[in-house]
Amino acid sequence: WRHIGFTFLTFFILFNNLIPISLQITVDLVKFIQAYFINWDKDMYDSETDTPANARTSNLNEELGQVKYIFSDKTGTLTKNEMIFKQCSISGIMYGSGNLAEFNNYELLKNLEQHETRDEIREFLTLLATCHTVVPENKAYTELPTEVAYQASSPDEFALVTAMKLLGIVFYSRTPDSVTINFRGEKEEYKILNVLEFSSDRKRMSVIIRTPRNEIKLYCKGADSVILERLAADDQHVKETGEHLENFANSGLRTLCLGYRTLTNEEYNIWSTKYREASTAINNRNELVAEVANQIECNLKLLGATGIEDKLQDQVSESLTMLHKAGIKIWVLTGDKKETAINIGYSCKLLSNQMLNLTLDEANLEDTQRQLRQHCQQFGDSLRKENPASLVIEGQTLKYALQAPCRQDFLDLAISCKTVICCRVSPKQKAEVVELVKRSVDAITLAIGDGANDVGMIQAAHVGVGIMGREGVQAACASDYTIGQFRFLTKLLFVHGVWSYRRLCKVLLYSFYKNICLYVMELWFAFHNGFSGQILFERWTIGIYNVIFTAAPPMALGLLDRSCNAATMMEYPAIYRMSQNRTDFNIKIFWTWCLNAVYHSIILYFMSYRMLRHDIVHDSGIVLGSHLYLGNLIYTYVVFVVCLKAGLESDSWTLLTHIAIWGSIASWFIFFAIYSYVWPTFPVAPEMRGMAKYVFSSPSFWFGLLLIPITALLADFIYNCIQRTFYKTLMQEVQEKEVKHQDLSDLVASRQTPAAPRATERLALLKSVFTRTRTPREVGIIDRPYHGFAFSQEENGVVPQDQLIRTYDTNIEKPPGY
Amino acid sequence: MSNQPTSKDDQEEQKSKKPADTAFKQQRLPAWQPIITADTALPVFLIIGLLFIPIGIVLVVTSERVLEYDLDYTEGNCMSTTVSNTTCAKVLQNGGSSCTCDIPINLDQPFTGKVYFYYGLVNYYQNHRRYVKSRDDNQLLGKTDAVSKDCQPFQKSVNGSDYTPCGAIANSKFNDSLTLVFNGSQTVPLLNTGIAWTTDKDVKFKNPNNASTYFQNNPPPPNWKYTAWDLDKNNSDNNGYKNEDFIVWMRTAAMPAFRKLYRRLNTNSSQTFQGGLPQGNYTLKVQYNYPVINFSGRKQFIISTTSWMGGKNPFLGWAYIVVGIVCMIAFVVFFILHKTWKLQNRPPT
Repeated sequence: WRHIGFTFLTFFILFNNLIPISLQITVDLVKFIQAYFINWDKDMYDSETDTPANARTSNLNEELGQVKYIFSDKTGTLTKNEMIFKQCSISGIMYGSGNLAEFNNYELLKNLEQHETRDEIREFLTLLATCHTVVPENKAYTELPTEVAYQASSPDEFALVTAMKLLGIVFYSRTPDSVTINFRGEKEEYKILNVLEFSSDRKRMSVIIRTPRNEIKLYCKGADSVILERLAADDQHVKETGEHLENFANSGLRTLCLGYRTLTNEEYNIWSTKYREASTAINNRNELVAEVANQIECNLKLLGATGIEDKLQDQVSESLTMLHKAGIKIWVLTGDKKETAINIGYSCKLLSNQMLNLTLDEANLEDTQRQLRQHCQQFGDSLRKENPASLVIEGQTLKYALQAPCRQDFLDLAISCKTVICCRVSPKQKAEVVELVKRSVDAITLAIGDGANDVGMIQAAHVGVGIMGREGVQAACASDYTIGQFRFLTKLLFVHGVWSYRRLCKVLLYSFYKNICLYVMELWFAFHNGFSGQILFERWTIGIYNVIFTAAPPMALGLLDRSCNAATMMEYPAIYRMSQNRTDFNIKIFWTWCLNAVYHSIILYFMSYRMLRHDIVHDSGIVLGSHLYLGNLIYTYVVFVVCLKAGLESDSWTLLTHIAIWGSIASWFIFFAIYSYVWPTFPVAPEMRGMAKYVFSSPSFWFGLLLIPITALLADFIYNCIQRTFYKTLMQEVQEKEVKHQDLSDLVASRQTPAAPRATERLALLKSVFTRTRTPREVGIIDRPYHGFAFSQEENGVVPQDQLIRTYDTNIEKPPGY
Repeated sequence: MSNQPTSKDDQEEQKSKKPADTAFKQQRLPAWQPIITADTALPVFLIIGLLFIPIGIVLVVTSERVLEYDLDYTEGNCMSTTVSNTTCAKVLQNGGSSCTCDIPINLDQPFTGKVYFYYGLVNYYQNHRRYVKSRDDNQLLGKTDAVSKDCQPFQKSVNGSDYTPCGAIANSKFNDSLTLVFNGSQTVPLLNTGIAWTTDKDVKFKNPNNASTYFQNNPPPPNWKYTAWDLDKNNSDNNGYKNEDFIVWMRTAAMPAFRKLYRRLNTNSSQTFQGGLPQGNYTLKVQYNYPVINFSGRKQFIISTTSWMGGKNPFLGWAYIVVGIVCMIAFVVFFILHKTWKLQNRPPT
């Protein structure tokens, strides 16, 4: 028994290196330098803010290559939080172009002078300059447009008023009961009689003013749906304006419809009394006010519509399209309202008419549960698969959806969609959503954001990416990677992620391979030494196997290997799916490599054994003696095979790769030659003395060196050949095209065309399933045509907007601040 | 002076955090991308095939030219010359300390050139871990310090002095003596030097000062019948630790079946053996001291010539030929596949 115990221990020690300790160090070092490659990438350098990308951890590089879910913040991440007045439609005539960065005012001003619709244009512009809650800040108390700045709680109104200023219609002064504008040189003062507030339910805002010509007018701006139903019966421009609205909406603009009516004194007085009563009512005041407001907001005359661009960060929609192509599902988690979120969804092409766009907006748990269940059933077989579908969900509904009875259905539904947009979510909910997906789906999640409210989700996701933005550095500090712009995410994932993943897989597999290949040899030798535990190699040569002789090839694989260059990988995001689906590293591949290592060790050991078993390998007749002779000879072959295997697995041989491979081989020869001469000068390795001389002077050694490594690698070579010829992977196909400098587009076409028609069929099928029993509105499908109404305004504030604007008098000098 | 503006620019560039645009940092190092497919691999297979098959043939022919004569003398053919009808193996088993036997050998062709004589041992684990360890290389360097514990259980004799040499390897030294007689009368002249690695002989094995007294005062290993200084009394340079039979033995064999160089033919001493061993009848005279029967071992006597590759070893040559043929087959198969595959994949015109 004691004997068995000792034998067990002996072999335990003998094979302890099968799982390489050096692996940890190699992997850490590789990851560390990979992180530097991310920092060094000049394509991810944002020159505006002078920020290069920064990998704050080196542990997640490979996860960047496997991301399947991206959770993104909206404001500051997808959008710049800058609104620009882009286009408008007045009396059926469209002004401005969607392609230009600025509103082109030349034609408008020309028509204002002489066109038949000049009165409407004037009315339109006056409306925009007066019907709002913006407060001007006029430090110099002049009428110079350059001196006026605006404070607005609504960025839309800010954009409109600013655009008017550029047109020469400068709103420059507000008193509690009036606004003063400079209409292209003429000073006009408008008395504000009433302000009918904006709310999400009303979707409109009106002011009633007394013009300098002593007319009373109601100006109203709001969603097309509410304005159009309040028009006078015979309005002539409804059709053109409708078309223009659709046009704006399709190019992702936020639209508003504008209407007005002139009131007679009597009309106004009657209404005014009612309104005062309503607004002083004790019960149901809000409802009563809304009711009364509704009475006057009718018989409107349509003036036109505006299109405001919520400016996206650079190349956001291109980046998102690429991410979608790479099979990544995108979730936008925003604190904004549904309309805004949908609008952004369209403008950055997350939502499109080529998708089934679902919305979920339920007020209680039961409804949420029922609706979710129904949706899930309607997806049928394609549940949890990739569908041309999107989901927009309200924060309130999300709260119910995240509760236990709904959670699974919600998850199933959300996973079936390419895009999910969650509106009005709190920072905590953002983190909860990420947590839910991370826990229930076997995939890597990535969260990207720029503000303090994104910290939760950045920390919850597997990989957190912070955008070094204007909103401070909290997000960046909590993140694993920081980048200067959203668009850099594509390079981070498609190039650095995929490279890091593929390289790390190779390093891991190769590290196991090289150690198994060497150490399993001890097992074969055990058959020849009576299982006594004698080691075949000299102990120090084993010791520095991983430190010197085979240290460089894994580094070369881990740092220099690349199958395609960066540009190609960016051009062809579908490559990303390979690493995303973990085709490079799974249990099957792992065991294949292990078996490969065992096979190599068998070839190496038994061929060397057969070669030396007659003992006489010198013409002087002396015998080789000593297992170490066999050991050193095999060791040389192992170093050759292992280093060349790295070369065989390497997709690109740079100069450094050559140095790593041939240098490693050379290092063994040098070490061996020197080490064979140290005894007895230094009291180590007496058994090595003279080895190099007798090994190198044997012709058998050199003939074996030519034969045995080639034989071992021949199977790998033939396997690669067959795989590459008959079972080519996408990556390899792309690589070949790249090497031959061929156009990739036909490849893209050949791989993708069969799928495209199926996608439209699928969409049609899905739509028909969803609307079989219910109307689109019941189901929550976003209406087509989509008119793009989105307007942000602070609602339900402590001070109502009506009162708020009446507290300002910009003609009075502000008290100096302390 | 003219350089000043550029250096200023450099400074400004350093201030910016923009990463440097070098091929390494941007991972744009020029690279060769090997693409191994059926058509690109074809020349590789062809070259290996065309190279390996001729090499293999040369090696096989070389090996075939080597002459080798093997004789197992463990039991049957080694009948004791003194005790009738008993093998020497039996004599030793029955407690006899020594035994001699004569075995006839017939060489049906002359062994020309250099001729080497080996003894072979089979099922003998000289590579056993504890056996390999059981030696003291410092002692063999001629140092007279106390020997290492590694030599256990052959470290010290009962009276406490170190064995010279110590250890299991030395203790189990092969001690049969083999002589060859030609045509019943002429002893074949043999050399017992030049049979060990020169590095061992020159560097690793040295006698202590005053070797003769040293070896007299210290006990030899228990299995030895005489001291190390009696190994070759005729040649002080081949005596003690520097005895080449001893050195050869101390270089433990890699495999459980091994051979060790025993003697070389002396081609200078006699006219008959100038060109090697002539064809004819020989007698191997064995002094049978080394017991191997109790662990099912075998003992062999081997006569061999050598080529530039060493002894007879057809394996390497055949391995070359086989691998070469495999490559040629791969070449043909891939060639056919390549042609047919191309036809299938031809884009429709």
